[in-house]
Amino acid sequence: MIISFVLDGEEQTLDVDGGLRAVDVLREYCGVTAPKEGCGTGECGACAVLVDGETRLSCLMLAAQMNGCIVTTAQGLGTDGPHPVQEALADLGGVQCGYCTPGIAVTAAEFLERNPDPTRKEIRDALSGNLCRCTGYHKIVDAVEDAAKRLQKEHGRGE
Amino acid sequence: MLSTQTIGSRSRRFDAPEKALGRERFASDEYPESMLWAGALRAGVPHGLLRGVDTTQARAIPGVVAVLTAEDVPGENRQGFIHWDMPVLCGTKVRHAGDAVALVVAETRQILAEALLAIVLDIEPLPVVDGLDAALAPDAPLVHDLETGNVLKQASLRKGNAQAALARCPVVIEETFFTPQQAHCFLETENGTAYMAEDGTLHMTVSTQAPFRDRFEIGRALGLPPDRLHITAPFLGGGFGGKDGSTVQCLLALAAMHAGGRPVKMWWSREESMLAGYKRHAARMHFRLGAEADGTLTALICDLDYDSGAYAHLGVEIMALGLEHSSGPYRVEYLEANGRCIYTNNPVAGAFRGFGVAQVCFAFEGMMDRLAVRLGMDPLELRLKNAIRQGDKNGVGVVMTGSTGMAECLVGLQDHQFWRSRDEWVQSAPPLTRRGVGISAVYNGMGYGRGLADAAVAKIRLTGDGRFRVYNSVSDMGQGNSPTFVQIVCEVLNQNESQMELVQPDTERSHPSGSSSAGRTTYTYGKALIQACEAMRDKLLHRAAMVLMADEASALSLVPGAVRHTSSGRELPLAVLAGMLHPEDRVCIGEAMMPVTHDMPDGGESFRLGFPHLIFPYAAHLARVEVDELTGLVTVCDYVAFTDGGRVLNPQNFEQQVQGAVAQGLGYALWEDCVAENGQLRTTDFSTYVIPGSGDLPDIESHAVETEEESGPFGMKGIGEVGMNGPLPAVASALLRMGLPMIRAPFTPERVLKVLCGGNS
Amino acid sequence: MNILFPTSVEAALDALQVNPTARVMAGGTDLLVKRRAGSETPEIVVCMEKVADISCIEVQEDRIRIGAATTMSGLLDNTDIRERLPLLHRAAEVFASPLVRNMATIGGNICTASPAADTLPPLHVLGAEVEIYSSSGKRCIPISDFVVAPGRTSLASGELLGAVIVPVPQGRTIGYFEKVGKRKALAIAVVSLAALLRVESNVITEARLAWGSVGPTVVRCSDVESQLIGSAPTLDTFRSVGESVRRAIHPISDVRASAEYRMEVAVNLLLRLAEQAADPTGIKVGF
Repeated sequence: MIISFVLDGEEQTLDVDGGLRAVDVLREYCGVTAPKEGCGTGECGACAVLVDGETRLSCLMLAAQMNGCIVTTAQGLGTDGPHPVQEALADLGGVQCGYCTPGIAVTAAEFLERNPDPTRKEIRDALSGNLCRCTGYHKIVDAVEDAAKRLQKEHGRGE
Repeated sequence: MLSTQTIGSRSRRFDAPEKALGRERFASDEYPESMLWAGALRAGVPHGLLRGVDTTQARAIPGVVAVLTAEDVPGENRQGFIHWDMPVLCGTKVRHAGDAVALVVAETRQILAEALLAIVLDIEPLPVVDGLDAALAPDAPLVHDLETGNVLKQASLRKGNAQAALARCPVVIEETFFTPQQAHCFLETENGTAYMAEDGTLHMTVSTQAPFRDRFEIGRALGLPPDRLHITAPFLGGGFGGKDGSTVQCLLALAAMHAGGRPVKMWWSREESMLAGYKRHAARMHFRLGAEADGTLTALICDLDYDSGAYAHLGVEIMALGLEHSSGPYRVEYLEANGRCIYTNNPVAGAFRGFGVAQVCFAFEGMMDRLAVRLGMDPLELRLKNAIRQGDKNGVGVVMTGSTGMAECLVGLQDHQFWRSRDEWVQSAPPLTRRGVGISAVYNGMGYGRGLADAAVAKIRLTGDGRFRVYNSVSDMGQGNSPTFVQIVCEVLNQNESQMELVQPDTERSHPSGSSSAGRTTYTYGKALIQACEAMRDKLLHRAAMVLMADEASALSLVPGAVRHTSSGRELPLAVLAGMLHPEDRVCIGEAMMPVTHDMPDGGESFRLGFPHLIFPYAAHLARVEVDELTGLVTVCDYVAFTDGGRVLNPQNFEQQVQGAVAQGLGYALWEDCVAENGQLRTTDFSTYVIPGSGDLPDIESHAVETEEESGPFGMKGIGEVGMNGPLPAVASALLRMGLPMIRAPFTPERVLKVLCGGNS
Repeated sequence: MNILFPTSVEAALDALQVNPTARVMAGGTDLLVKRRAGSETPEIVVCMEKVADISCIEVQEDRIRIGAATTMSGLLDNTDIRERLPLLHRAAEVFASPLVRNMATIGGNICTASPAADTLPPLHVLGAEVEIYSSSGKRCIPISDFVVAPGRTSLASGELLGAVIVPVPQGRTIGYFEKVGKRKALAIAVVSLAALLRVESNVITEARLAWGSVGPTVVRCSDVESQLIGSAPTLDTFRSVGESVRRAIHPISDVRASAEYRMEVAVNLLLRLAEQAADPTGIKVGF
């Protein structure tokens, strides 16, 4: 089937089997490899992307479901350059092997939209579907806390 | 954030920005044009005679390029870089359910899956050796045809007459401990891509911890000359030991040999990784510890049995480290440590962070806690009293000549508020909840140990545009050795991060520097790199002297992007200097080897490789733990780690290693267990094999106890592993103090509830 | 694979009529996992995500009607659910992970009919009914009649689960829901217990208890409930019904827990309920 969607700001029109997994279409057909596959069963969150602004597991989504949607991966997350959560992850040591990072960046960015001033517990809850085997999460939580402050500052300037 | 990248500063990792943006390309991100997919058919039967593999139907499926069996393997069809007992594709016998019996190359993933289903196996099942007891039974079926039955290796280490010494001890504690098979669960599963070039060179991009060794592994297994194998290892999406060995390499190379020059991709699913990937050895450990009435440790006799699974991999070497570390970071005068590494039909065990040591830490620290209870002593005082110090001999008689910060780590804990306030915290437990505060003291030999040259060859290049290219040749599986290399270059050459380029291991561009393992990567390669940088600095200053008209190089210094004549302030930009040098002249190489010990206990000579060690990082951990009395659920509320890793090169990276290792160690303590029943894995994915998520772990406080390791680069020691060893015993210690003596890990709610109800774990 | 995207209930019913082998997919978090494992091989999938009229939450006097395609996140974010159906809200809170909750739906959770489904014990004690659509109209049945066996519902061919109708408990009640898993997020329930108690003048006047993961479907135990009614909400009262619970439930052993453990914990959770009933300051949502 023909599917059209906006991927990280660019129009995509593909003729693919609508039953393919979204993660495979993004990676193999569109060449956007930020969404990673870690389990294929929705347990690890490495494949998380934003679909119309909400996080989705692209391993549990069909290509056909992307039709007409705006899909955003970690590669297209920031508006001008990196999203503050990506900067904070890098600066504060929230990145080790980096394989879970794109999924975490996407999840955290969406979470901070909904909860701009979260507690550490709320951050841990929000990331509970994103497995990381390297960091022990401590510095990821630090980074999301810090990103919240960066965003508050940005918004403060804008007002 | 300004990233100074000087040694000792909390610098942002050089690799972090690209990774955070999702732009870093891992091996699994490669989808070369006209690519084929390869996949292995797994036996599905844990033990059996392979009578036949019928590939007729599979071959007939349109889009199937090749269906290969053992007959198609051109070389020795053996892998396992020390013991060579594991076939690439099984020919006559299968020894675990994940054994590969056929290999398919196909146009698409869908066709691959279809073809794998279409292969018909004829396997005559044999009785299954499902664990240590079954393997050691008198009439046990043999996994391999060994004269020693299913015992791959038996060895004993002796320091003095421990039996006699134990008989004289006024206090003797005895216990048996059990640890599970643990899966690495790196988020990027085993994968790679490969193609055979027209000139007969096989090019492979693979998620591996040992690209240089892989050439010999593949070469021997498939009868290819190692110099025709070109391996590149991009950043790994985790490794932890599980990619230190042949995973996809030989299968992928074999597939590429039958792909007509087209690239082939193999990428194990999570389920395949659980089934066929390496695991940490399950162990059974019987300990007898003798002490004086004042708590002085005297004698230890222990018997360690390691379940190697179907193949040897590094089982013997892992057992050696278990025996070596069996008496803990303590002075114990008499030791008898007996070990057996045993074949079963369980998944293959191999290297895993805390290589053989994570298991015994549970046992010897469990003994220390029991001894403290028996003697009515404070468990921290007891540890401090016996803690090994510089100049002491360790359990196997090696003199600790290097930095030895065990006591300092324990003193750190002793002064910590969580330790000082432990009684109040325990007493304020909410209803239906028990609380305990536990500690552990652990260590972990660094480097390969004696018998295996722990060497590295570092290379750095001044590029044509005056920047520095650092050739990492020790895989970066996430630990951050390669950004630390950038930091070292910045420090020695006084440059900024913006002048740096970082290249990951490539057997055609960099030099063999060993595997990414054993807490050695920054130590050994870092030492070599300092030399390479010093040579580069000397070279650049000498060459610049002509232009800047200095009589002596000492009148010059490197500044970011230039060489400066110190007194006049005149500068020669590096880009200009680079233009004056022939490309071959812009390269500097440094070499280093890790020192070894010549001390050797009785019996130690039976371990040719990797035993014993000279340099040890140390750690003391504390866990505040709650148990729900109704469900047995254990919650670790707070965690503190004091670590002696010598000098800290980057506090951020140091904390990352500690926190990550503690997380993996808490997983080992509370959840992780590869459950196999009759050789069939039951924990097949992340819904049944539980690794900790962000909601399962506390914040992990990390403190560095900075000693000076004189042999190390900038005084550092590797701490990649030691943090793994502390959590299991620390949690066990907390549970023991609340009246729950656990001898079997992980401490699942079910096991804890049983002990709460008065049963045995 | 052919994927259909009806935009109304009528169109969805038509699609099911025309394609009797089609599988209905709401969030896909169960179906697509099963497809990966090879246990489901659907040729035609009717995807419900564009059917707007079954994903809304409506308050109707003393009950709340929840469209079957409402996601777990949708439940969590809804003020009426949080304030008036805290038991169900808690189930949504402990359901899988935030990422899965953005996709998985309440209808999907019910139709999956897993003994471990998180929403089922609360829906049982709340006395929920399900609204089933077919081309011949709609019917309403109690949730307890809907889920008939593990993985099996009473949904007939061509029928579609449209909504769950949940009565809002009136007056002062004590609600309790606890899910015991091997870990916090992403856990599959090893045992769960939902309870709704009414206590007047220190006497239990109404008791509804439902256990998950201890039998083929949710276990309600009328024996236990009738024993509790008329007693004071003390520890001893709840302890005394333990034996009846043991008789009522039939847990199995699997890779997550043994039958013995499930049995023990199913009974033990009554003690937490007792603690809650003795101090009814609000909903106790243990874990």
